[in-house]
Amino acid sequence: MSTALNDKTTGYEPLIVAFCCNWCSYAGGDLAGTSRMSYPANVRVIRVPCCGRMNPMFVLRAFQRGADGVLVAGCHPGDCHYSTGNYHGRRRLSAFKRLVEFAGFEPERFEVRWISSSEGDKFAEEMEQMTAKIKALGPNRKMRDARWQSVT
Amino acid sequence: MAERNLEQLEKIREVVSQDLLSGRIELLLGWEKGHYWWQSRPLFARSKDDLAKLTWDSFCAVNLSRYLLEELKDHQKVGVLVKGCDSRAFNRLLQDNMVERDRVVLYGLPCPGILDYKLLAAEAGPELKGIAEENGKIVLKTASGEVEVKRDQFLMAKCRECLYPDPVVYDQMLLEPQGKKEAPERFKAVDELETLTPEERFAYWEKELSRCLRCYACRQACPYCSCRECFVEQENPRWQGRAYQPSENFLFHLVRAYHGAGRCIDCGECQRACPVDIPLQELNRKLIKDINELYGDYEAGLDAELEPPLLTYRPDDPAAFSEK
Ligand code: SF4
Ligand code: SF4
Ligand code: FES
Repeated sequence: MSTALNDKTTGYEPLIVAFCCNWCSYAGGDLAGTSRMSYPANVRVIRVPCCGRMNPMFVLRAFQRGADGVLVAGCHPGDCHYSTGNYHGRRRLSAFKRLVEFAGFEPERFEVRWISSSEGDKFAEEMEQMTAKIKALGPNRKMRDARWQSVT
Repeated sequence: MAERNLEQLEKIREVVSQDLLSGRIELLLGWEKGHYWWQSRPLFARSKDDLAKLTWDSFCAVNLSRYLLEELKDHQKVGVLVKGCDSRAFNRLLQDNMVERDRVVLYGLPCPGILDYKLLAAEAGPELKGIAEENGKIVLKTASGEVEVKRDQFLMAKCRECLYPDPVVYDQMLLEPQGKKEAPERFKAVDELETLTPEERFAYWEKELSRCLRCYACRQACPYCSCRECFVEQENPRWQGRAYQPSENFLFHLVRAYHGAGRCIDCGECQRACPVDIPLQELNRKLIKDINELYGDYEAGLDAELEPPLLTYRPDDPAAFSEK
C-alpha cells in the first residue's frame, strides 16, 4: 500500500480494501477486467473463499494499516457456493457494522455488497461509488496504527 | 458486618454440607468474606470445616459458574451456588460445550441484588464501618452514628438493570423465588450514545478506552470468554499488538465485545472486574440491542436449547448495510 496515495500535498486519494468472495465477487472483478471496464486504482482486492470466511479482525486490521474504507463483497443471498456462508455473513457483518459505527466510524467506511460473477458492471460501479464516497469523506485516522502513520 | 440473613445462610449451609459429606459433590463453589467487610470472594469448600467460612450476603457479586472451567479438571462433581446471573452463565458454558451438565449440582439462590460499596461510601463518608439490613432497608454504621437508607438506591448498576434475578437453571432451589424484574434503563446509555455524531462517539470511546491497562480481567471474569486460546494471546497471527495506543485499544474492545455477539448474558461481570471502570456493558448491550432489533428477541443464557442468533439465519433476514 503506497502511503503516497494518502499524502495531502500530492492530492488525497483514498485507499479502499475490498474483500471479495472467490466465487462471485472476485470473478465479477475479473469480468470487469476482461470486459475492459475501468474502476479506480484506489481499490485493493483481497480474495477470500466466501464472505462467511470474513473474520471481523480483517476489517479492523485494514483500518489499522491504512485503509480509508473497507468493502466486503459476496454472492447474492441464496447463491453462496457453500450454501449458507453469506446468510451467516449477513447476520454477523450487520451486527459488526453497527458496532463499528457505535465506536465512532462513519457508516460509509464499512460496507457490504452482493456482486455475482456475471455482474462485472456492478463490480466496477460499486468500486467507483465507494471510492467517491470515501474521497468526499476524507482520510480515515480512526484506529490507524500510530507506527503506520509515521512511515512517510 | 454485612450478613443479610443468617437464617438463609444456615439453610444453605445445611443442604450443601450434607451433599459434601455424602459425596454427592466433591467441591462446593460458594462465597466467603474477603479482606474488607464489603467484599465477598469465591470459596472453594471441600470439607465441613471449609463451609464454616461460607457467606451469603449483599456482596456476593462474583459469578461462580466461570470457575467451573478450572475446577471440573480436578473434580468429578462440583456444586455451585447460583444467583440469576450465575445460572445464566452456566447455560452459556453448557451451550458452548464447556461443561457437562451431570457433573454439576446447581443450588439456586434468588438474588435481591448486590450492593455497590462505592455508592454506600459516597453516602456515608469514609468512616463507614459496616451495614445491617432489614426489610429493604440498610442501616449504615459510621463512627458518628447510624443512618437508615433504602436498599434499591445502592444496588450495583448491573443489578438495577437485571431482568432475571431468579436462577433459570438449578437442581435445587434453596430460597423463595421472586419473579422477573423490569429494567427500563437497560439500553439507556446505548440509546444516548447513538444520538451523538460519529466524531463525538469516537472521542467518547477514545477517552474511555485510553484507561485500559489490557490486564484482561474483563475476559477472565467473563462466562462467554471460555476460549482455550484467546485472540489477544495468539502468536500467529498476532492480532493484538501490545503497544499502548488507541488503535490497539479499539481492536481489543471491539473484538472482545463482538465475540459476545448473541452470546453475552449481560451479567456485567466484565465491567465489575475492570479496575479502571471502562463501561464495557455499553459495548455488549449495543450488540444485544441490535441483534434483538434485527433478528428477533433473544436473551442469551435463558434457555440452553435455543439456538444463538448468530449461529443461524433466515433467508429473508434484514441487513444493516445499505444493500439488503
Ligand atoms: S475475547 Fe474472544 S477470543 Fe478472547 S476469550 Fe473472549 S471470546 Fe475468546
Ligand atoms: S478489565 Fe478493564 S483495564 Fe483490564 S483489559 Fe478489561 S477493559 Fe482493560
Ligand atoms: S461463496 Fe460467495 S459468499 Fe459464500
